[in-house]
Amino acid sequence: MPGPIDYSKLRILPDFDTAEWWAGTKARKYLVRQCKACGHKWFPPIFPACAKCASLDVAWFEASGKGKVYSYVVVVQPIVGAFIGAVPYVVAIIELDDCKEADGTVTRVAGVMLDEESEVAIGLPCEVVYEETNDPKIVMPRWKINGTAANAWRFTE
Amino acid sequence: MGALTDKYCIVGVGETPHMRPSNRTTLSMACEAVTKALADAGLKPGDVDGMTSYQAGDSTTSPHVATALGMRLNYAVDILGGGSSGEALVAHAIGLIEAGYCKTMVIFRSMNGRSGRRMGGQTPGGPVPVANAEGDAQFNMGWGWTTPAQRFGMSAMRYLHDTGCTTKAFAEIAVAHRYHATLNPKAIHRSPITIEDHQRSRWIVKPFRLLDCCQETDVSVAIIVTSRERAYDLRHPPVFIMGGYARTLTDSPQWNYSRESLHYVAGNYGWKRAFGMAGITHKDVDFVSCYDAFTFTTLIQLEANGFCGRGEAGEFVKGGRLQIDHELPSNLSGGHLSEGYTHGVQMVIENIRQLRHRADDACPGWAEGKHTYDRKAGCRQLRKADLCCGMGWGWENMASCLILRGMAA
Ligand SMILES: [Zn+2]
Repeated sequence: MPGPIDYSKLRILPDFDTAEWWAGTKARKYLVRQCKACGHKWFPPIFPACAKCASLDVAWFEASGKGKVYSYVVVVQPIVGAFIGAVPYVVAIIELDDCKEADGTVTRVAGVMLDEESEVAIGLPCEVVYEETNDPKIVMPRWKINGTAANAWRFTE
Repeated sequence: MGALTDKYCIVGVGETPHMRPSNRTTLSMACEAVTKALADAGLKPGDVDGMTSYQAGDSTTSPHVATALGMRLNYAVDILGGGSSGEALVAHAIGLIEAGYCKTMVIFRSMNGRSGRRMGGQTPGGPVPVANAEGDAQFNMGWGWTTPAQRFGMSAMRYLHDTGCTTKAFAEIAVAHRYHATLNPKAIHRSPITIEDHQRSRWIVKPFRLLDCCQETDVSVAIIVTSRERAYDLRHPPVFIMGGYARTLTDSPQWNYSRESLHYVAGNYGWKRAFGMAGITHKDVDFVSCYDAFTFTTLIQLEANGFCGRGEAGEFVKGGRLQIDHELPSNLSGGHLSEGYTHGVQMVIENIRQLRHRADDACPGWAEGKHTYDRKAGCRQLRKADLCCGMGWGWENMASCLILRGMAA
């Protein structure tokens, strides 16, 4: 497992558009925005309108928190102080299993993997895991590989 | 542009040295770059009536520079913008001059990009001690994923996955641009490197190594745009603006990772318009410049702008294709990777010098356009430098392009 994230060096400041999302992670729910008019889903929730139909009438969709790794990077040189002790750590973009739309749109999210670099590969299934921080209001979603895939692709250089 | 093709010209370029650190204000550096560009054009401060710059909350403004240099402007504006803004502000200048708001316009960028606010997000002493994650940053700083290297690395990794390309293709770009820097007395890094040097350099964020990343510096750069009629009266033969696109966006521009493909970047949406305006094909292009914040950004811009097919850029750059005296020389000053990071403008400056046949290299007669073409003696002037395509990059989702020609094309 990568080293710990020092949450004392990171202050998450929820706002009007995101407070409910952070309340969601605190309740162990992985939310994505959903348009009430057309059903389109998106992430992150900083965007207050539907990019497909421009509706401002938006709600939340509770995703299963399961998906597949679409891409990833391995951070070796830390930039954010909270992550100095965590390197090397993997950040992935994850395609959510239950957020695929008829026209091919799929909601992707990003997050830190709990796994070692050698355990992560594009195509592998993963699921969200919740990690408490030193701020009682903030629960941080992280991700963990939870299966195998025939077409998994790993950067081996 | 179409009807405006060749109607506007870039007539002056100037820059400070690349400094680490400058120990100067951005205003001081901007005044130096602007006065050098004026001298290069053969203009006086009073000949300029428009000024614009771009910044990221890290620089002085056009009214400050105009005040310092005693200019009375008819138009001044400073925009918030990242890479690809320089090329976009050229388009902006064309529009303003065409509409009669001003006649001759200076565009500058000035930043203490190394000693002050770093694009890479580090504070001068190292990692950011305590970070406030607000707004967009709630959804990237919280997962330690903030810097351009970390963000573009995602597209690069997916590109490697989708195409079978390896980081040896990235190395080709590092080697080519470094080779050009060996021919540039102004460049920060002038020792040649090999593919193996690239492959052995330390990891920053996989798939990027140290030699995939540009050189943050303290620098100011300036260019001057005016009409063709005025350009003919100035010091150098004009360089004509044939076409381009300006800060073209992808769909879903701001958070692009739910798009169909991370590496289907903004250039794909722009190049047909730019080449159409200019009335050229890729075969007409003698050399290119690509915003090489990272090796990968050069690779993907070549592909996005149609210099090769989708997924083919890794093959395309092999065998030194981007080096001087090869098929498609790229970033002849050494670019961000080796000359120093200027947020894009130095590529326009180098392109102008090449098109004028006046690359400021080791040739004693360069200022008169006399070059030896002897690379071993430090000449970096292309023999044939009639037409170039400059490609600017903001993020994957935002790009600009400027197609320029000299008198011969
Ligand atoms: Zn909608």
